Amino acid sequence: MVIVDPLPHAWRFDAIGTPWRIDTAEPLPDELRRAVAQRIERFDRDWSRYRDDSLVSRIARNPGRHRLPADAGPLLALYAELYAATGGRVSPLVGGALAAAGFGPRIAGVPDAPPRFEDALAWDGEHLDTLSPVLLDVGAAGKGYLVELVSELLADAGLARSVVDGSGDLRIRDVPMRIALEHPADATRAIGVAELGNGALSASAGNRRRRPDGWHHVLDAVTGLPARDVVASWAVAADELTADGAATALFFDVDPDWLLRHGVEWVRMRSDGSLERSPDFPGEVFA
Amino acid sequence: MTTSPRPQRLLGFAGAAGLGLLTLAGCSGAADADTGSSSSSDTSSSSSDTGSSSSSTSSDTSSSSSGYTDGTYTAEGSYLTPGGEETIEVEITLEDGIVTAVTVTPEATDAKAESFQEEFADGIADVVVGVSIDELDVSRVAGSSLTSEGFAEAIETIKSEAAA
Repeated sequence: MVIVDPLPHAWRFDAIGTPWRIDTAEPLPDELRRAVAQRIERFDRDWSRYRDDSLVSRIARNPGRHRLPADAGPLLALYAELYAATGGRVSPLVGGALAAAGFGPRIAGVPDAPPRFEDALAWDGEHLDTLSPVLLDVGAAGKGYLVELVSELLADAGLARSVVDGSGDLRIRDVPMRIALEHPADATRAIGVAELGNGALSASAGNRRRRPDGWHHVLDAVTGLPARDVVASWAVAADELTADGAATALFFDVDPDWLLRHGVEWVRMRSDGSLERSPDFPGEVFA
Repeated sequence: MTTSPRPQRLLGFAGAAGLGLLTLAGCSGAADADTGSSSSSDTSSSSSDTGSSSSSTSSDTSSSSSGYTDGTYTAEGSYLTPGGEETIEVEITLEDGIVTAVTVTPEATDAKAESFQEEFADGIADVVVGVSIDELDVSRVAGSSLTSEGFAEAIETIKSEAAA
């Protein structure tokens, strides 16, 4: 097995329910680690559906006007774009459906079926207005966004080179890497290799959280059911928020102009096992 | 949960995907983390040229320096999912107190889950076989997100069983 780490220092920890790994040229000083931990904690406190003290849980229990944190802006703006680009299939309003399916606690009053964006909330860039209980879920792009925020934190602290890996979301700064794209049905195999030295790669698949009845966590907001047609996707973009959002959107029909405008290169595997890719995907696809 | 030293073997699991190889080191010092999360560890590779994390250091066999007995260990960890409790099997190779290889394999806990996973695997694997990761020269593997809890539980079991 040849897995070569281009940077010598790796810091591993668990956060938001998944293993993380940050690679740097020098060991990270304690105050920087603390800053990273605090950033993650703040994000989790706002967006976790698994905490009843989180912002999203409070919004679900208390319809009305809510002031959102500053980092909500780029995240919700991306969701608005994805909602339009996928014909409503990617939406932050699938929290109730996910909870009803067993992915997280249910909150009284939140309907199981995902409401339409325009019916459920109004967002002016600072305040969110809801009329009835609605549970936001930012799983489609939230982890990627957090990876991006952590990567920015390190860059702002003066680190020119780093790899932030939030398990399937990889944000790379000046580190040439070859990344195997894991076959969703066989972890010993790859369906391709991405080559990236600067930028973001996000991998999405329904395999690890798939239940025996076929339920997994990439929900189609129009049907309220898991996406069926696509089983795995990989998206490459300049930042991880875009890459993660794109990887989720690729589970559905997504407006090709949106992908083009955001410079997204991608590969996805359909449920019949066939692979589709963008013409300029950086790397090789073994199809 | 039992652990037993056994020869290194490749675990490939068709269906719910396993992990591939990660490297972990400094497990013995991981329990008290400054991040507030349950475990955290650091690795530094000894040489700066290849940066490879597979063990290349001077001491070859002895266990006494690290407090852990060398060998390959397997343990199980469980966590709750909407479909019930899931178990994963974690296999770790320890060399001089350093974890040099990790393989994680989800275990289907009921016949229905297993057959679904097999169907899923059969349906997909036939069409796109892909290339064995062993044959590729890569810096990382990217698949869907892993779940931490069962893995951490298995690591703790291995640590306590491997203590010399």
